[in-house]
This record gives sequence, structure tokens and C-alpha cells, in this order.
Amino acid sequence: MADFVTVGEASEVPEGEVKAFDVNGAEVAVARVDGALFGFSDICTHRHCNLANGGELDDHTIECECHGSVFDIRTGEVVNPPAEDPLETFQVQEVDGQIQIGV
Amino acid sequence: MSEGETPRSIVIVGASLAGATAAGVLRNEGYDGSLTLIGAEPDPPYERPPLSKEFLRGEIAFEDTLVRPATWYEEHGIDARFGTLATQLDARDRELVIAGGERIPYDALLVATGGRNRSFEVDGVELPGVLDLRTHRDALRIREAAADGARIVCVGMGYIGAEVAASLRSTGHDVTVVEIFETTLYRILGAEIGRVVEGIHRDHGVQMHFNDSVERFEGDGRLERVITSSGKRIDADVAVVGVGTEPVVEVMAGTGLDEGGGIPVDATLRTAVPGVVAAGDVARHDHPVFGPTRVEHYDNAIKMGEHAARVLLGSQDAFDDPHWFWSDQYDSKIETAGFAPTWNRMVVRGSLEERSFCAFLLDDGGVLRSTVSLDWKRDVRRSFELIRRRVAPDPAALADPEVDLRKLLPEEGE
Repeated sequence: MADFVTVGEASEVPEGEVKAFDVNGAEVAVARVDGALFGFSDICTHRHCNLANGGELDDHTIECECHGSVFDIRTGEVVNPPAEDPLETFQVQEVDGQIQIGV
Repeated sequence: MSEGETPRSIVIVGASLAGATAAGVLRNEGYDGSLTLIGAEPDPPYERPPLSKEFLRGEIAFEDTLVRPATWYEEHGIDARFGTLATQLDARDRELVIAGGERIPYDALLVATGGRNRSFEVDGVELPGVLDLRTHRDALRIREAAADGARIVCVGMGYIGAEVAASLRSTGHDVTVVEIFETTLYRILGAEIGRVVEGIHRDHGVQMHFNDSVERFEGDGRLERVITSSGKRIDADVAVVGVGTEPVVEVMAGTGLDEGGGIPVDATLRTAVPGVVAAGDVARHDHPVFGPTRVEHYDNAIKMGEHAARVLLGSQDAFDDPHWFWSDQYDSKIETAGFAPTWNRMVVRGSLEERSFCAFLLDDGGVLRSTVSLDWKRDVRRSFELIRRRVAPDPAALADPEVDLRKLLPEEGE
């Protein structure tokens, strides 16, 4: 069972939005799609651009604004190159109006 | 080898984004035979988009642009020869001849030699200060020449000219443009969208002269001014010439495929020469949707490189990617999908005036051929399948931002 770290208020990530949080030095993006929260590394595996800031969330995919890499935020898998390596994913839960990320 | 067998030796000509991508896929998919990568440039393969943007502005280092770490090639058993010109393909004996005369045998060969800038034949083009941009070393030369507040003239306002103008304006330079057509990006995107981009550059203080061309460059020992056909005299320290590219096809001399419009390949990327495949900027591809097409896109170089690797290993699949491209200028982003050298009708969702829109280019039959957006999220990517499947969507639905483009796809099998 993972330990969870509280990073912010649930209201900080409304439907269809994505926001990055610092979790013990790791930059983790949290997105909300159809009510559910998804956590994944905020750093594109191609050239290390930030995904939450400038990336385009579209259903369960996010497109990096730098070179167009697209990832599935549920699994971290690459949907479109140039990225070759998947994103690390994180467990996320919402407890008492707080967002918690598994570490 | 006979067709259908896994090759024992593969040669990639062109240490380019397409070539390096293909090498990576070959090794990742378990090809462990001989693999040679030959590139004319002295550097390991790198990505060119930053050359007119972050790298030109001095924000990132060359190492940040490498397709793979410089040590990757040796680590993966690839005989990488950079700074080596491939001079001729001996199709009969399946050997590649390189400068110096060495002959490298191959079972299968990928040509990914890319393009070069078209030469610009006017008086004074040899003056120091008159530059162009294709390679990382070209970008370094522009960076050095543009130090200390140099006055810049961009010759040509295609994507390269527009990005160079934006980057050097962003670093505080005086920038003047001389463009032969009536507005920016005219030949690619047409006048309506071109004028929107022109407005962005004007608001950033770029001086633009349209319907004009360079008559000559003048200066005493180095560039001092640009003289245009209409008689304008523009004081300048640096001129960056961006008047288009041509494919590098010389290695195909003698095969009949060294065509000025690119090396012809079928839908799968195979040339008419057995065992020889071409990908990236150099390939004139018989695209299943667009017909014979040669594009110079970053994403296409990657995807064609990936596809070519699988074809080298025997795949018979056609390459039917709908093409995607972007351009960053100041804080604005242009995106395009598809291919439409001409179109019959343009439908806009959003607003050209407000510089936030997605434009749909339809052919005579109303079929969506290309999508162009400016600072508009999602819809270019959502239009890929409409383009690939040659859908003729309801124009009113295209114009309505509330309509999800994916809903305009007919059901599979319809």
C-alpha cells in the first residue's frame, strides 16, 4: 500500500484541467477526466518539457506543446512520437476534498 | 537476399531525424544484423526545429537537440560515419559507394538524405553577413553574426523566414522582411491566413515589404545594405535567406530516380530499386490519401523513419499518416494537418480577427484536405481521421466550436 501525500485542494483540478504538483521533489501532473483524477509525471520523456503548463488535455490523452508527443494519462503509454518512453504514472485519490498522490 | 527474408546488412544514408529514428526502431525491434549510418554532416543526428527558435535565441545547447545521445550509436552496434558523403548507389551489386571510394554492401538500404536550401542567385550573395539556415552550424553563424544589435533582413517569409524573424525580433533586433508574394506564408496557407500571421509580425515591430524581391546585396567587404527590385535600400548587417529547399537526391544518380521533386516511392516507401526505401524530406511519396506528396515536416520524418524501418524488415503496410506540422512564432502557435496545395473552400471556426481559429480547407467535393489552426487547441489533432478517411463534413458543423470533430466521422464500415 502506497503512502499518500496531500498536495492540494480538489477544487484546484476542475473537470478537463491539469495541474502540476511538487511531491517530494518529483513534478507530478494531476488531470481530471469524467470526474476521475489521473496522476503522471509532468515531464515529457522526449525533451523534458512540462506537460501541465502548455500541454493539451483531450479526453485521456495529453499532448506536449513542444514537439507534439502524446501520452495516455491512464497508462503513461506513448500515443504519438517523438517520445519513445512512457510517462511514469502515480496513484491519486481524493479524500475529504484534498488531492493525495501515492509515493 | 530474396524478397521477404530478413536482411543481414542494412545501410542508412542520411544521419537525419528520419535516418536516426529508423536506426532506433531497427534495433528496438530486434534487428541485430549489420547496420551502417552514413551522414554528410559532421555531427550526430539532431533535431532542426530549435535551430530557428530556442537554439537561435541561445536558450538551449546543441546537445539538447540530439536525436539520441552521441554515444548511443556505438553502444547499439551501429557503424556510424558522420562527415561522410555517400556518392553513389550501385543497385546491381547492392553496394553503396562513399567518398574515398569505399564500397559498403547492403541487403536493404534507406535513403534519408533530406533537403538542402535552394541557392539564391543574386549579386552580392557571397558577401559576409549573407547567410541561410539549414544546419546547426548555419544557426551558430547567424547567432554570431547577429550579436550586438545587428540589423536583420529576412529574405522570404515562409516558415523559416517567419520563425527567424520572430526569434531575432524577440532578442531585440531590428528585423525587416522582403517577400516576393503578397503576404507571409502565402504559398503555403494562402492570403487570408497569411495576413493574420503578417499582423502578428507587424504588431511585434517587424518591417515587411511584400510583392518585392532582392535585387542585390551591397557592401564594402561585408553586407551593408539590401537593394530590392522596387528600388528600396535597406541598411542591414545580416541577411538570412529562406527561399525554399530541394531534395538531396544525388546518391540516386544512375538509377533514374534522382528527380528534382524527390525520390519517388510507392505507398509503402519502397523505391523502384529492389531493396531501396526512402523516407523524410527526400521522399516523394505516393500517399494513399493525398497522392504524390513531398513534405518537410518534423513529425513526418519521425513517422516515415519508423515506417521505413519496418519496411526494411519486410512490412508491406502503406504509410498513410495524415501529416502534422507546427510553427512557433512569438507566443503564437500555428498547427497544420493534411496536405492541400490548393483548395476550393475554407471554413473557419473561431475568429481570424481575434487570431484564434481553426480553418478547414475543403476540396471541390467538400472533402477535408487540410486543417490549419492558430492558437486553437485540440481540433487539428481531432481532424486527423476526417482527413485520413476523406470525409466531407457538414461545413456548418465544422464552423461550430461546440461540435466535437470526432463526432463527424462516419461509423466504421459505412
